[in-house]
Amino acid sequence: MEYILKNGVVFDPKNDIDGEQMDIFIKDNVIVDKVSSKAKKLDVSGKLVMPGGVDLHSHIAGPKLSIGRLYRPEDIRKGIKPASKNDISGFEAGFSLPTCPTIGYRYTKMGYTTVTEAAVPPLEAKHAHEEINSIPNLDIPTLTLFGNNWFMLKYVKEKRFDDLKVFISKWLKLAKGYGIKIVNPCGSEAWGWGKNVDGLDDPEPHWGVTGREVIQALTEVNEKLGLPHSVHVHTNDLGHPGNYATTLETFDCVKHIKKNENVDRNQIMHCTHVQFHAYKGTSWRDVSSGASELIDYINKNDHLTCDVGQITFDETTTMTADAPMEYDLFRLTGLKWANKDIEVETASGLIPSIYSSHAPVSVLQWAVGLEFFMGVKDPWKIVLTTDSPNGGPFIRYPRIISWLMSQEKLQDMLDNEVHNWATNRTDLGTYDREYSWNEIATITRAGPAKILGLTDRGHLGVGAKADVSVYDIDVDKFDCTLKSNSETLENKLLNSKYTIKDGEILVKDGNIVKLVNSNHIWCNVLGLENEEKVLIDRIKPEFNKYYTIKYENYGVNDHYIQPDTRMDVNYGGEL
Amino acid sequence: MIEKPITDYDEEVRNCSCSYCGNNCDDITYLLKDKKIVGVRHACRIGASKIINDQDQRLLNPLVRNDEGILEETTWDVALDKTARLLYESDRPVLYGWGETSVEAIKKGIKIAEKTGAVMDNQSTICHGSSIQAFQNVGHPVMTLGEVKNRADVVVYVGTNPMDDHPRHLSRYTTFPEGFFRKNGRKDRTVITLDPKYTNTAKVSDEWIQFNMNEDYLLFDALRMLLKGESLDEEEIAGVPTSQLENLIQIMKNAEYGALFFGLGVSQTLGKQKNVDMLIQLVEDLNRYSKWSMLPMRGFFNVSGFNIALTSETGYPYGVDFSRGYPRFMVGETTTIDLLNRREPDFFMAISADPGVQFPGYTIKHLINIPTIQIDTHWGPYTELADIVLPSTRVGVETEGTAYRMDSIPLFMKKVIDKPENCHSDEWILTQLYERIEILKQEEDN
Amino acid sequence: MKVMVNTGTSVIQAFYEKKGSTLKDEYRQSAAVAFMDLKDMQKLSLKSRDKIKIKSEWGEVVLYVDISYDAPHEGMVFIPRGPWANIIISPETYCCNVPTYKGIPAEIFKTDEDVLLVSQLMNKVYNKYNLDDDKLTDKPVYKKRMI
Repeated sequence: MEYILKNGVVFDPKNDIDGEQMDIFIKDNVIVDKVSSKAKKLDVSGKLVMPGGVDLHSHIAGPKLSIGRLYRPEDIRKGIKPASKNDISGFEAGFSLPTCPTIGYRYTKMGYTTVTEAAVPPLEAKHAHEEINSIPNLDIPTLTLFGNNWFMLKYVKEKRFDDLKVFISKWLKLAKGYGIKIVNPCGSEAWGWGKNVDGLDDPEPHWGVTGREVIQALTEVNEKLGLPHSVHVHTNDLGHPGNYATTLETFDCVKHIKKNENVDRNQIMHCTHVQFHAYKGTSWRDVSSGASELIDYINKNDHLTCDVGQITFDETTTMTADAPMEYDLFRLTGLKWANKDIEVETASGLIPSIYSSHAPVSVLQWAVGLEFFMGVKDPWKIVLTTDSPNGGPFIRYPRIISWLMSQEKLQDMLDNEVHNWATNRTDLGTYDREYSWNEIATITRAGPAKILGLTDRGHLGVGAKADVSVYDIDVDKFDCTLKSNSETLENKLLNSKYTIKDGEILVKDGNIVKLVNSNHIWCNVLGLENEEKVLIDRIKPEFNKYYTIKYENYGVNDHYIQPDTRMDVNYGGEL
Repeated sequence: MIEKPITDYDEEVRNCSCSYCGNNCDDITYLLKDKKIVGVRHACRIGASKIINDQDQRLLNPLVRNDEGILEETTWDVALDKTARLLYESDRPVLYGWGETSVEAIKKGIKIAEKTGAVMDNQSTICHGSSIQAFQNVGHPVMTLGEVKNRADVVVYVGTNPMDDHPRHLSRYTTFPEGFFRKNGRKDRTVITLDPKYTNTAKVSDEWIQFNMNEDYLLFDALRMLLKGESLDEEEIAGVPTSQLENLIQIMKNAEYGALFFGLGVSQTLGKQKNVDMLIQLVEDLNRYSKWSMLPMRGFFNVSGFNIALTSETGYPYGVDFSRGYPRFMVGETTTIDLLNRREPDFFMAISADPGVQFPGYTIKHLINIPTIQIDTHWGPYTELADIVLPSTRVGVETEGTAYRMDSIPLFMKKVIDKPENCHSDEWILTQLYERIEILKQEEDN
Repeated sequence: MKVMVNTGTSVIQAFYEKKGSTLKDEYRQSAAVAFMDLKDMQKLSLKSRDKIKIKSEWGEVVLYVDISYDAPHEGMVFIPRGPWANIIISPETYCCNVPTYKGIPAEIFKTDEDVLLVSQLMNKVYNKYNLDDDKLTDKPVYKKRMI
């Protein structure tokens, strides 16, 4: 099939196209420079055209979601919507915990085509992949949790970095994972005993290993293997006043590590939802923003990128492998607490969270998130996320965009809506930045694609994947800086005019017109097969002793990943 | 029932997943001769009986009741067409069961339920549904079983008797095996059973605490009070000497890692979900002092998988009513027993479940008055009440598919031997039904 | 004698149920049994494998009796779950979907009546198809298809 998107106003930051009125040509599943006369014309004159959205950190599939839905029917009830009349998409259900089909519908309607599931324990990876099969219309890479894995801890403790490298290479294949996720390294293992670690250099009680050692070792391994994405780090001390110092140390602790030469990305570490890691003070009474120091570091250094984890003033559900933090929240709020410890690998926790614009702490967190958007100068280093659903559900991205594009709106919120901690305890009031469409396209498309190492998307150059979103926004006429337009802007971004994925129209005029199976994206390291076999033969007895399922039944087989995109990575050997 | 070891076999298939209980032991070896299973290694007695199974009651062909009320063999086309039409034309259909089939089949069932406005429900509705309600009330602090094996020094069983229901629970997961931090296995652990009965589990425990039937709530509440340092004036609570409870709470408080398992003894007795509420809150409180987590002892090998699949697709764990076209879940309203007790359904299909074994007689009586369909592998009590019987295959033996263990670990179950010729997998049967219902709908629309 | 009834899984009943042998005598022998405290049995002069009729608000059924190894628990009777136990348990869910399988007040009497096989029991209690009891046995009753 061939299409011409006629006369749209195109924002494609990677190819330096900044609001140019032009045609986009699509043949089959890629962008091309010309099409035949048979091509179907879609008139999008003057409308906003961007590459398909790329989310690099969201929680959309796997055990945490299941627990959340199981124990929060009140959230499911909030998002009920009967099936569409066209008999293509089904009903929707859930707000912060949408059902799998609902996740696909809502992301597609927002113009997103790639969404990363950010935390999958290998033992339950089949679960995540099975859920991905129920989410329509997206490309989904999954990040595999390694930051508290016992084999990893053992290799780090014994400084067996070659074994660690082979282990990671093999485990990504077993979990059909895309990259390395580290969550509260050593802290979630300490939670096995009801404890946590305090900062980057507090050794885990049994293993004697620190977060610093884990992050450094896994970053080294990531670069040796040359994985397309860097390590993806949720630093220690999430949500604790005073934690910005730990975050700063974490930023700096990998600076000396050499980036693999073959990768496209610039960073060697991606720090996720930095908003939650940027507080000064010693308690929730004297807490204040620590964003400025972190922003300053990010602006001065090029080895790291981050996403925000913006708060959106909703009743949502928090979920993380940082289980001790969730218990702290339970002690703080008394809301119903869920926890799931996963043998040999990780822990996880959930708790509902009510972020209110009248609650001082919520407002501080909201303002800290916005400080990052405002303060980080290079939009390629920062990505729009809410750590969905932790800061708020992903359907709030358009609302955040409406805040970023209008100082009038933001000022109005500061003056009339939110608690005064936003101005008293953060520097948000000192910024007057307004995002352009080009910058929005960077923080929602080009940037995250580059950071993930997915070079075929996030842009509209010839040969790119034909993932395109078009919104019913007349770029030259519609003034995004007006407060009075912010609601309209949000609605238009929630309901795309067209969402095209792999050259197929999935959304037209805000309605889903086609459903396709989501694609499982995973990383396959080539060149270490023999080493992997030797390692497995060696550790299988230990595996079978300490896990409660057999090694033979552990991996995700092909049954669960139809269709998939295997990204082969050639291991280059020691340099 | 002492059986001789099997020596006459020509093939071994290792690491199969058992299709009996929520333990989902995945270390089972099937012994085959001439492509038939003749023996099973590592499985418990019940698991082995399920895998080898009785062939004289195997359902081998579709059956439909004739005018005399006798089931008569028929073709798949006839049986499927009849079923599809009955389902399509009903106003309040219930699709019940699912505990012993694959997630793949369950997902097909959900599609049918959505299409026909049916109620989709599973055995949670008669077993741990009340536990799920309690999770929804107060919280859900759980773990995988390996956490218990590797860390637990205190294991508490409340109102459950795994030695009979989940025979390898203690030997494979919680009590006897060597764990990473419990090198001496059983010797490194204290096992306590709370039960009105002196069960086989109580017999292998270090301590049995006998309490009065229907006084669970009182007992757990007293434990919470003791944990918080309150003193109790009564000398006896729920039939247990207060000093014994004080001792118990000390052991629990001082555990390095404690695991609590509870069963239908808590969720089915008076108080039901409120008993579990209290137990969950006890575990939450204990985490102030130590590390504790808990797990319900789920019965069927995929009863947990149903809850997961249904939440993935509809948001709710069981008892989902599609009569308005979108899912609704209201305990006591959209749940099978309540619906049948109110005499509401006008169509009932059981898939890999036997309501004749599971439901109260009063509830079953409604099935006399409505069309009843059975999709299962064996002739059972429910067959005696079924109007149409669709013979299916055994997951993990004749058909592959996914199941979730009681702790929600997913397992891929293998196909090892061929199915009986004229049987079909649940997934196939449901796909066929779905297609026929679509045709009926199109015919009506035209 | 007034008792409190408890139902649940027993390893032998589950064995025959999972094996798929529910029509057979083995299943009846394992599931149509009231397990009692020895002292209670003595009060009614019952020996193992004698028969009792048990009545609750919801129905009555004839069962074998046997000594409970889960005793001591005078006044308590355990019946493995199954078609026999179902007849006397309470369908009451108290609006929370789970019927009351445990803690059912009931009364027991010694009897000489027969303990029925599954097929006979289902026909007698529910009588959906008005079948002739004598034809119902421990084997499936159905018509083969003429080919």
